[in-house]
Amino acid sequence: MNLLLSVLEQGLIYAILALGVYITFKILDFPDMSVDSSFPLGAAVTALMIQAGISPLLTLPVSMLAGAAAGVLTGVIHVKLKVRDLLAGIIVMTALYSVNLHIAGRANVQLFSFSTIFKNELVASLPAAMQPYVPVIILAIIAIAVKLLMDAYLATRSGFLLRATGDNATLVATLAKDAGKVKILGLSIANALVALSGCIMCQYQRYFDISMGTGTLVLAVASVIVGTQLLRGFRFLGATTAVVLGSILYKGCVALALSLGLSPFDLKLVTAVLLLVIIIFGGQGRKKVKRHA
Amino acid sequence: MKRIVSIIVSVALILTAAVAFAGSYTIGIGQFAQHGSLDNCYQGFIEGLAEAGIVEGENLKVDLQNAQADMGIAQQIAAQFASSRVDLMVGIATPMAQACYNAAAGSIPTIFTAVTDPVAAGFADAQGNAAGEVTGTSDALPIKAQLETIRAMLPDAKKVGILYTTSEVNSISAIEEYKQLAPDYGFEIVESGISTIADIPLALDALLGKVDCLTNLTDNTVVSALALMLDKANAAGKPVFGSEIEQVKLGCVAAEGLDYIALGRQTGLMAAKVLKGEAKASEIAYEIITEPGLYVNPAVLEKFGIVLSDELAARANEVQ
Repeated sequence: MNLLLSVLEQGLIYAILALGVYITFKILDFPDMSVDSSFPLGAAVTALMIQAGISPLLTLPVSMLAGAAAGVLTGVIHVKLKVRDLLAGIIVMTALYSVNLHIAGRANVQLFSFSTIFKNELVASLPAAMQPYVPVIILAIIAIAVKLLMDAYLATRSGFLLRATGDNATLVATLAKDAGKVKILGLSIANALVALSGCIMCQYQRYFDISMGTGTLVLAVASVIVGTQLLRGFRFLGATTAVVLGSILYKGCVALALSLGLSPFDLKLVTAVLLLVIIIFGGQGRKKVKRHA
Repeated sequence: MKRIVSIIVSVALILTAAVAFAGSYTIGIGQFAQHGSLDNCYQGFIEGLAEAGIVEGENLKVDLQNAQADMGIAQQIAAQFASSRVDLMVGIATPMAQACYNAAAGSIPTIFTAVTDPVAAGFADAQGNAAGEVTGTSDALPIKAQLETIRAMLPDAKKVGILYTTSEVNSISAIEEYKQLAPDYGFEIVESGISTIADIPLALDALLGKVDCLTNLTDNTVVSALALMLDKANAAGKPVFGSEIEQVKLGCVAAEGLDYIALGRQTGLMAAKVLKGEAKASEIAYEIITEPGLYVNPAVLEKFGIVLSDELAARANEVQ
């Protein structure tokens, strides 16, 4: 049960990240490498604010703003300075590494003695039986809220334009809209979510570390693909739900690989095999459903 | 879909339940990355426990996990230890120890080792009292002794170069201390910060031109590239001092350093006290290794024409 809880908790934190990456990777078709640095950017801002005694709740919007600014930067470098998408992301990722160190002040900042969104007076006043479930409830509320807001946004005029830009930028141009601006907007929303995820991760693990962003993009892309690929047959679920579930599944695979107790050398290999098996199995399950229908 | 999830979850639950068998101790050891010093910590730790009568396979079940330097995995390892209710969690290296301490949430004692600055890491207050159910050993470098030894071996050297990774908090504390102490021995520290292993060749070329010798920290990234560093430094005719025995084995001139196996053993003895209920983790102050050892590599000494003073020769351990 505890293990399931921790998989859910971490899966939900990374789900917010995956939702952000879904915007760039799937909707805009933009390989945004800056994610590896905008994730710790959210965490660095959070560590700084919490150490200064600012309310943990306030860290959520502020780190989103920081992430959005990073996204705008990537977008401007790509659209206005005409730098290739991949390179624009790499440039911002590289620059943010130094920025993150400056914000946090050092490479590792601990927050063990400070209150966070998971550990504060309000949470402490809840009944003891509820305590173990508090983080997962808080995370579910945030992740579902993010998902619903994103669904709502994608259904607006601006959201349609965003989706159109990824599919067919020429169409957007014929509508007399600036595809470049839409891209910048998409990148800023995406990186705001990535930084939000970093902010929550920092409060969850109660420390910031400069290298916590390493491999973030790969993890997020894997979650997006696992989710969308596996749950393709379940139309009613919608893409954003699929991404959230994909992230939880991915974390579940790592947890399973860890609990198999194999040699540390094999951890990544086993995780990879589990992912592959799930995708193949999931694909078959889907076909069966269709055949019976 | 649902079935797959339920299968995964149930397999995981069965496995974690199987770990907790009665009549002995179960501990979870999380090691942050795989390299010589940390491996030695683990080996020493198991030896230390055995010395206190807690022997793996007899009355001890060890769940060893390695995070492969991945923060996300470190979190999951710690969460897994907490959910399988191990008797004790051990975190080797700072991020892993922080993840364990956080996941333990006060209900499982946590032992750390290979943490350079336990106060900065949040495990103890400035007076050295434990912050919670957590204690362990620090691998703070004997920097004073190191500077003394460099001075004794290279009487004319003025500038000492240090290469370090900006993301390693341990290195940053060590650099600060080096800079503070260096003037006492007539040295100036020239530092060069890198962010990944790929930056090392260029940074080294630039640094070697400016210094009389190099000294190493326990910086994981730099130590991983030690062979390259030794090649370049030897070509430039500049000796490299190490920070622990493994580095001297690889070709550093000398090191006033730690023996990580000894450090691990000391940690194992502390863990045994906690497991046996002789003391709570919160009652044991963290320890630093008391006597640094001087390790020298005779072949390299000869190459640089360095002759040991009688005082140094008397206490030096020769390493091949």
